[in-house]
Amino acid sequence: MVRFLTRRVLVGVVTLIAISIIVFGLFFAVPSSPAKVMCGKNCDAASIAQVETRLGLREPIVTQYTKFMKGIFVGRTYADGTAFERRCDAPCLGYSFRNDEAVTTILSRTVPVTISIVIGAAILWLLIGVSLGMVSALRRGTLFDKLAIGISLTGASMQVFFFGLILLFLLVYTTGLLPFPSYTPFTENPAKWAQGLILPWVTLGFLNSAIYARLSRAQMLETLSEDFVRTARAKGLPLRRVYTKHALRAAITPIVTIAGLDIGASLGGTFITETIFGLRGLGKETVEAVGFLNLPIVVATVLLAAVFIVVANLIVDVLYAVIDPRVRLS
Amino acid sequence: MTAPTSAPQSPATTDTGPYLKVNDLRVQFPTEDGIVKAVDGVSFSVERGQTLGIVGESGSGKSVTSLTIMGLHNTKRARISGEILVGGRNVVGMSEEQTRRLRGRDMSMIFQDPLSALHPYFKVGAQIAEAYKVHHPNASKSECRRRAVDMLGRVGIPQPARRADQYPHEFSGGMRQRAMIAMALVNDPDLLIADEPTTALDVTVQAQILDLLEDLQREFNSAIIMITHDLGVVAQVADDVLVMYGGRAVEFGSVEQVMRRPQHPYTWGLLASVPSLHGDADADLVPIKGNPPSLINLPSGCAFHPRCRYAGRNGDRSFTEVPELHQVQERGHLVACHLSEADRQKFYAEDIAPSAGVAQ
Amino acid sequence: MRIKGGALVVGALAVALTATGCNATTNEGGSGDSGEAKTQSGSISYEAADNTGPAKAVDGATKGGVITVMQVSDFEHLDPARNYVNVQQLTGNLIYRSLAGYVEDGSGKMLLVGDLATNPGTDVNKDCKVWEFKLRDGLKYEDGSAVSSKDVAWGIARSFAPELNEGPHYIQQWLYPGGGYNATYKGPYEGGAMPAGIDTPDDKTIKFTFAEPHCDMPYAAALPTSAPVPQAKDTKGQYDLKPFSSGPYKVKSYTRDNALELERNPNWDANTDPIRTAYPDGYKFTFGLEQQQIAERLVADAPADQASLTWGDTPPAVLPRTTAANVANRVAKGPTQYVWYLGVNNLRIKDKKIREALYYGLDRDAALKAIGGTSAGTPASTLMSPTTAGFEAFDVYNAPPTGDVNKVKEILGGTTPPPLVLAHSNTALRTAQAEAIRASLVKAGFQVTLKAIESTSYYDQVGRKNNPYDLYLHGWGSDWPTGSTIIPPLYDGREIADEGNNNLAYFNDDSINTEIDKIRAMPAAEQDAAWTALDKKLMTDFLPEIPAYYDATHELYGSKVGNAYLSDAFGALQLNKIFVKQ
Repeated sequence: MVRFLTRRVLVGVVTLIAISIIVFGLFFAVPSSPAKVMCGKNCDAASIAQVETRLGLREPIVTQYTKFMKGIFVGRTYADGTAFERRCDAPCLGYSFRNDEAVTTILSRTVPVTISIVIGAAILWLLIGVSLGMVSALRRGTLFDKLAIGISLTGASMQVFFFGLILLFLLVYTTGLLPFPSYTPFTENPAKWAQGLILPWVTLGFLNSAIYARLSRAQMLETLSEDFVRTARAKGLPLRRVYTKHALRAAITPIVTIAGLDIGASLGGTFITETIFGLRGLGKETVEAVGFLNLPIVVATVLLAAVFIVVANLIVDVLYAVIDPRVRLS
Repeated sequence: MTAPTSAPQSPATTDTGPYLKVNDLRVQFPTEDGIVKAVDGVSFSVERGQTLGIVGESGSGKSVTSLTIMGLHNTKRARISGEILVGGRNVVGMSEEQTRRLRGRDMSMIFQDPLSALHPYFKVGAQIAEAYKVHHPNASKSECRRRAVDMLGRVGIPQPARRADQYPHEFSGGMRQRAMIAMALVNDPDLLIADEPTTALDVTVQAQILDLLEDLQREFNSAIIMITHDLGVVAQVADDVLVMYGGRAVEFGSVEQVMRRPQHPYTWGLLASVPSLHGDADADLVPIKGNPPSLINLPSGCAFHPRCRYAGRNGDRSFTEVPELHQVQERGHLVACHLSEADRQKFYAEDIAPSAGVAQ
Repeated sequence: MRIKGGALVVGALAVALTATGCNATTNEGGSGDSGEAKTQSGSISYEAADNTGPAKAVDGATKGGVITVMQVSDFEHLDPARNYVNVQQLTGNLIYRSLAGYVEDGSGKMLLVGDLATNPGTDVNKDCKVWEFKLRDGLKYEDGSAVSSKDVAWGIARSFAPELNEGPHYIQQWLYPGGGYNATYKGPYEGGAMPAGIDTPDDKTIKFTFAEPHCDMPYAAALPTSAPVPQAKDTKGQYDLKPFSSGPYKVKSYTRDNALELERNPNWDANTDPIRTAYPDGYKFTFGLEQQQIAERLVADAPADQASLTWGDTPPAVLPRTTAANVANRVAKGPTQYVWYLGVNNLRIKDKKIREALYYGLDRDAALKAIGGTSAGTPASTLMSPTTAGFEAFDVYNAPPTGDVNKVKEILGGTTPPPLVLAHSNTALRTAQAEAIRASLVKAGFQVTLKAIESTSYYDQVGRKNNPYDLYLHGWGSDWPTGSTIIPPLYDGREIADEGNNNLAYFNDDSINTEIDKIRAMPAAEQDAAWTALDKKLMTDFLPEIPAYYDATHELYGSKVGNAYLSDAFGALQLNKIFVKQ
């Protein structure tokens, strides 16, 4: 287990370094310079040069990259030896090109938003989707099953922006039943936190639960045809126990895997949901940063998204080993 | 062990009659392509302490029969008629809850592949304990576990207490099947159905498992149905043999009768496809030509006729008339074949016996 | 000034705009094409009545409440040295005061008056070379300390720092003419020296001495760079987050990209301020919503949003819903100081006949329809915007808004025009517009190929002298409403460099260059009419490029917002006299 974790963490770190190099490389392959975006209205050559110097973009890419990596591990000093000198302690991800804010500050503000959206929505989609799928598998062919399939087919083919806008239109613009979504930190006011996020939760939760319902139904049907389910019945176990203990346990395993990876990927940013509901999470931050060629934020958010995926993979693997005794972590 | 009879005994006399009686069992599955007649009018019975071997190719209806006895078919999708008396209680038409109470306690089952039949995520001991607990709701957890460990020991698993805490994948194939048997016997059932219990195992292990079953049968005095396509297994453990083809019984009798003096060409075919330890090592095995019939669209007349080299010997009876089981001269031996008994004996002696396997 | 690339990337970012107004001559102007346009009249006022606080009260206005401004993106800079974008200036105006400022009431009568200073600047020697400003009595910062002219000097000095280079640099360039504005002096941080040409003989006086005459100084003094920054409160790069307040409001909280909250500065004295009434108790700026969501919410006018407004243009999708009576009365619309041109590369298209044919071939209605129709702009026939002082609506060629194909054929007289390449920024909006323009020109008989350019480098590419394109869309708006920030940057051929050009027509004519020099030397009062005459001459004799349309804005506000009007100076809803209806 320790060896497994050590190896996975090492692989993760190497992956992240590779990603950071790729992001850096791609970034500098873009024909435009961020200075041209950041110089404001004074985009003459002299101003651009000044901005590029200030942002450190005049240095060789390798130097810029080395400094960036150094900043992450030991911190770095910007504008060394000038009146604008400032120390950026590790883990230093630099400052936003656009408004000079520390990237770590930006992340500490945007990450909780995305995490709140994803966690809330995931709870919804797992609860609704999985139970709907399981029940429909058990009642295969009944009206309930057909309805559930129909709804989930509709849901799965619907897009976040469409469903989200409809909800906004019905519940916010027209009737005013709900306030426009907003983010309040959970620690500040849990009720407001939930109230402000209910729409994105429902939107993302409903659409994903459609996918999960279909997935769970298929998994459950497959599991129900397994020999060990027949064995459980042959033992004389009541059906309820056969389903909830024997079948569910096995059917849920691949769902845990997919849910883990889905959640990991979602944590990297739910751009469309965030945009529709005006919530500044990681996704919106990233896309905007790309638009502004805001390198420090782009690198940081891409890396963070990668971290989420790497960690999600790790958690899924560990969970898998916990759920399925046949799986060995090695 | 008695021959199939059309006079079912009344439930009141169960204790004296055969433990399991199956009368004119029919199981049909309506599908989009038509009705699958998986079992079509099969009758037999098994007494405590006796073993009935059911043989036949896949699709002959032997597994469906056993699952039907266990009440494991979805009654919504399977049409079941006839009578299955387990200790005098008719399982056909029983509610799920009623059959559930019988399953695992009065009758239990061992499946072909113990790896897939055991739940991969639960410890072996826990799975056995669970089987005990469900029929002994008042038993404590530790009691159930003790019972499970005890059973593992009785089926010959060394260090049962330690093995109880292992998962199925940590067992070898033979050990898994022993565990499976332990689970099936944990409630001292009166009827044990073993569905190809040795097919997935090594030959050496097969023998051990069969010996174990025999030992246990003596100990528990239970009735056993041994479903197999392997006549060697039948010859070793069964008292009586039922040969099924296309959902129907084609031959029934004691092991001695069916193995030594088989009268149905299908049975001959089965015997001819088994290698003989005693016969000519160079003699060719003769597989039965053709494929098992579709259960949706059975051949007319005798379902075996397309594969039977003697089919034309009775005019067109084999093609038009479904043969009934009839007793041959020897008591208790029944065959469903249009050939005359004399012909059957002649053909067997001339064509089959010289090269056939097991019975030699 | 140029609409910057970044704005195009995010689409709805505040368009970079600044001052509009008029000159001392109280000229009148109007736009015949824009039905929404008010008559532009304004002046630089030295009248005591105009230059004395408190600001004229608004009928029916009440104190209290909080105005919410919903924006797509956060401000880039509120530091006065870095503040150049119109909505940032409107916001900055609430927090800090410049030497001069605009008194507006929404009627089109805008006055440039003294803000910190008692008047908009005294031309000491009547040669526009030495300008003196006297600060008012009783000016205080948010901590109660007095505002000193030395703080104004420090504010200007620090705007030379390369690290704070995003603001306007007129005064800076005038103090250090020739070469880059901060090529010589790089701000006070290295060594503490103050820029040459600025004197602060006492705490109330600041004097600027220029080598050349700059009659526009009162306008330049209205830019945020002349806001006071006490050296002790200068947080350099962090000043953006919390400018030290000399105005009616101070920063209460500022979470980047989320919200900026302003609360009253108790030390601000209304009697010192002729510009601001400061009715609301505070302002809240929220960022991060899409423009469409903002517009939907303002249309819906839910109770929580009734005291809200936006500076963003209503997106085309929401426009149809703004015509209902209860919404239409909550729309502020009108022209901005931007004009969009179909730029013609004169280095490649040397024949005026071809340019004339293009003028008739262009379907201005179609070009506008592609970006939202009449709320996005109105067809243009002049080089200067209708918001320019001295503007006169003329139409030399009298082309119908949908173009005139027959006239094109008549001009070309059977000759085949050369194949043309039309370059455009690759945003959805500009691509659609370029396609509409191409279609109209093709219909008129031209052969046009489109060339999409990455939006962030669009102006770099077309700003290269030897660029391979014949036509390109570009916009230009003045920093203040006189022809002096339109005609010279766009049509003075001596300014053409290898790259970074504003003169995208690459137009160079000695007679025009001479004329520009002549007008610049004129007293401010006479310049407006002269620039208009030059506009007409350029259009008639040269037609360097094709004016396409005058940009317009269309902004929504909630039903509890009182006294909402478009600022003549900034082309967006003015906050100085706004109030919350109780």
